[in-house]
Parts: sequence; C-alpha cells; structure tokens
Amino acid sequence: MIGSTELETGMPRYGMVIDLKRCYGCFACNMACKVKNHTPPGVFWSRVLKGETGTYPNTVRQALPVLCMQCDEPSCLEVCPTGATVKRPDGVVIVEKDKCMGCKYCFMACPYGARYSVEKWESYFPEGIPLSPYELFTKRAWEEKSGVGVATKCDFCLDRLAEGKEPSCVLACSANARTFGDLDDLESEASILIRRHRGTVLNPELGNKPKVYYLPPR
Amino acid sequence: MDPKVNGQIQKEWVWLIAMYLFLGGVGSGAYVIAAVNGLFGDGLGLATSIGLWISFPALGIGSACLLVDLGSPLRAVLAGVKVGSSWIARGFWVISLFMVVAFVHTVLVHFTEAPNATLVGVLSIVGMVLAVGTMAYTGILLGASKGIPFWRSGAVPVVFTISALVTGHFSIMIGMGLLGEAAAMAEPLRVMAAEAAVLVVLELLAILFFLQQAFTQPDARESAERMLRKTLFVVGYFVLGLAAPLVLMLVLYYGMSEAGGGGIAGVAGLGALLGLAGGLILRWAVLACGALPTLNIAGFEFRRIGRPKTLRPDIGLMPPQ
Repeated sequence: MIGSTELETGMPRYGMVIDLKRCYGCFACNMACKVKNHTPPGVFWSRVLKGETGTYPNTVRQALPVLCMQCDEPSCLEVCPTGATVKRPDGVVIVEKDKCMGCKYCFMACPYGARYSVEKWESYFPEGIPLSPYELFTKRAWEEKSGVGVATKCDFCLDRLAEGKEPSCVLACSANARTFGDLDDLESEASILIRRHRGTVLNPELGNKPKVYYLPPR
Repeated sequence: MDPKVNGQIQKEWVWLIAMYLFLGGVGSGAYVIAAVNGLFGDGLGLATSIGLWISFPALGIGSACLLVDLGSPLRAVLAGVKVGSSWIARGFWVISLFMVVAFVHTVLVHFTEAPNATLVGVLSIVGMVLAVGTMAYTGILLGASKGIPFWRSGAVPVVFTISALVTGHFSIMIGMGLLGEAAAMAEPLRVMAAEAAVLVVLELLAILFFLQQAFTQPDARESAERMLRKTLFVVGYFVLGLAAPLVLMLVLYYGMSEAGGGGIAGVAGLGALLGLAGGLILRWAVLACGALPTLNIAGFEFRRIGRPKTLRPDIGLMPPQ
C-alpha cells in the first residue's frame, strides 16, 4: 500500500498509524488537539468513537480514534467549488480559508466526518462571563488560522511539522498507539508497522485511499 | 455540542438548502412547461406567460437561500472556479446562464411588440436545455456526495427532476387559477390536471424506486427507515403532497367536466398547493435523513449508539456519555 508517486518528487508523504490494540479510549488525543489548535465548542478535529462487536454476554468494546484521513484521493477536494481545499505536495489536505465560501459541500463528501465549521466563535463558558486572557488568545489564534463561516479540519499540525515535531495527538497518546511518519520512506517506523502488522484503512471500499492506517485490534 | 458520530444525520444542510433545491426545481420545471407550451402549444398563452414569470424569480429566491446559508457569502463569486470536478461549480454556471436566458426570454416576449420568432425559439431551446440541467443538478448535487450513502443513488436526480416538473406544473396551475378568467380557464386547467396526474404517478414510481434502492444498502436503509418514520414526510409528502393532489387532479379531469370555472380553479389550486408543499417536504426529508456511513474495521462497527429513552438503574444500564 505504500505509494511511490512522491518518491520521484523527493517530498515526504505524511501518514499516521494507529494501533487499535494499544488505544484504550482515554480521549487524550482529543483534548491535545483542542488545546493545540484552539478549536471552539463543537469542533473536534480529533475524535474517539466507541464500537462494539459480539453478542451479549460475549461482547467486546473498542475505541477508534478518528481524524482527517488526509486521503490520497480526497473526495472533499473533488467537490470543493472554489478551490479552497488543496492537497499539498507532502500529502496533507488543507483548507485555504480565504477561498472557502462555506457551502459545506465538503462536509457531505467526507465519509469520515472530518470537517467542522462554526458560525461564530463561542466561549466554553456561559454567556456573560468575561473572556479570560487565555480565551482571548485562543479566539485570536482560531480566527487567524481558521475563522468563522469556513470549513476547518485537521492538518496534521503543520506548524509543528515545520518545527520538526510530531502532531500534538501523537505526542499526547499515553499508550503510544500513534505513530507518525513518511509513508514513502520504507524504513520509517510508520511504514514498517503497516507492513509488519498488516495495517488497514477505514472503509477502503470508498476509494479515498486514506493515509491514516489502523493496526487491527486483535 | 457532541462530536460527530458516524451514523448520525448530517445537520449542515437543512431548510435553506431544501428551499434552494425546491425553488431551483420549481423555476426550471415551470420554464420547461412554459417553453414546451410556447413552442408547441398556444404561443404566448397564459400558461406560457405564467411559467416564464415564475422561473426567474423562483431561481433568484432559491439562489438567495443558498447565499444566506453560505458561511462566507461574499466569496460566492468563487463558486464557479472548479467546474472540472465540483457539481456546485457546474451548477453555479448552469443556473447563472439559465437565469440570464429565462430573464431575457421573459422580457423579450412580454415587453417587445413583435419579438423575433426565431430568437424566441432559440432562447426556448437553450433555456430548456439549461432548465433540464438545473432540474437534474439539484439531484446530482446530492448524488455526488460520497459521505452520505442515502444520497449516493442514481435515483435521486430522477426523483428531483420529475418532482421539479411536477412542482413547476403545479405552480403554473396556481397562477392560472388566480390570474385567468374562471370560465376561460376551466378547460385548460382540466387538461393540465390530466398532465399533472401523469407526472405525479411518475414521481410516485420514482420515489418508490429510490426507496427500494436505499433498502439494498445498510446505511442508506437506515436513512430510508428514518425518513419513513417521519410524520411530516409520510403525511406531508405521501398523503398530502402526492396522493391528495393525484386524487384531486383525477377528480378534476374525470368528475368535473360540467362544473363551473370557479370550482375547477378552486380544486386545481388546492391540489397544486398541496403538491408544491409536498415538493418542499420531499427535499427537506431527503436532506434531513442523510447520515454519515458506518465506519468498519476488523469486524467492529463504529456508529451512533442508541441512547436509552428511559434510564434503567435497576439493571445498571446508563446512557453512553
């Protein structure tokens, strides 16, 4: 499954591997994303779903961390009428906020539910309570990076990548379930994990070719 | 607000988008009926005139609904940039061109003394092509949405296209009932009632085909079942929006040949109003029942978890947090 197109360009092809055997659904990734990206209420670029299988009493629950899959064939990019959704050479799909008109067609195109928007910035605290200096900072940070009335999504913490760091959800994972790396580098830990443990993607039948891989839970 | 969970209905496109799709259908449907009538029927008769007068304002108000729904309406000028891959961009150009043609056509035939017949004919044909494109677009827009299995069916454009013709037809009937002289309108309305009955039957077949298709895929099936549990859809669309207009149109055609013009106009207007409301409810219901697909991996299904309506502390069952 490791692609070779970008090998010719010398660019990395960023991807993530999530080991479902290790994930115990603590939501640390969820919170780390919120703190790092200052996402307002109702916006969850990183989520954790809970699923179950089996028949009572022999049932098993499983946590599934979900984020933007940074698809190689992103359906959100295809449907975007303004060209606001762009796939960078390193494979990260981003929204150029100055081009987005907020039609939300990309919301309908993304089968993974990765996109969010807010009509206005809201505090986490009830109305009437003055904003704290931290909230004023997060409000400004959100408006600079994403803003209101436009589609927003996970971008693998591009600013952290530029500093040579991993995305904040990877850093926060206490179970070390997440591995980030260059999928085109056959020696990267992410590539090795995918090969060794038969990593798979969510709903491959949809044809989006996600770059977030999952190692099976059992 | 909770995070999105796959299996939950989408909440981004609701009434305003339903109005956009509905009015786009009414405007294009009315134009097609008017243009066909103008080309092959009575020239600039009342039906043609009303159809033309309906099309441009309906499209304009529908587009305004979309603009209001946009998060950043000022950037709507960029909507046609990616015409190569985005159906919204294609729709932007089709509807924009159609609005220009519909406007020019309406002005030309109503405000010039002797409009050039060839020009009117060319405008009618070009306008009809764009109108059919608009009718289909309202369904293709949804059909091309990969994230909503319920909409990903070739039946959606078919349903919406036929519904556009039905609602366009009904809107002209309402106009004729209101504006025409009752006695003079009696026979044309009876003919239009027969046409409307045929279109309503076609819509009924199309919606049944759509539901049958939906029931073949688990995620779409759940959406279809959700739609069929909605009272507004079952009563507002199936009963009042399809069955009642069909009965009224059949009564009008077969049972009121001796009736007065006022009675005919009343029955036609009532049936047409119900049919129009049904068209709006149909689009709302299709939008309001679209849900994200279930995520599957290694035998696990990750989706909406049913929340018990009543807590059962006696057996330790608590709602998921």
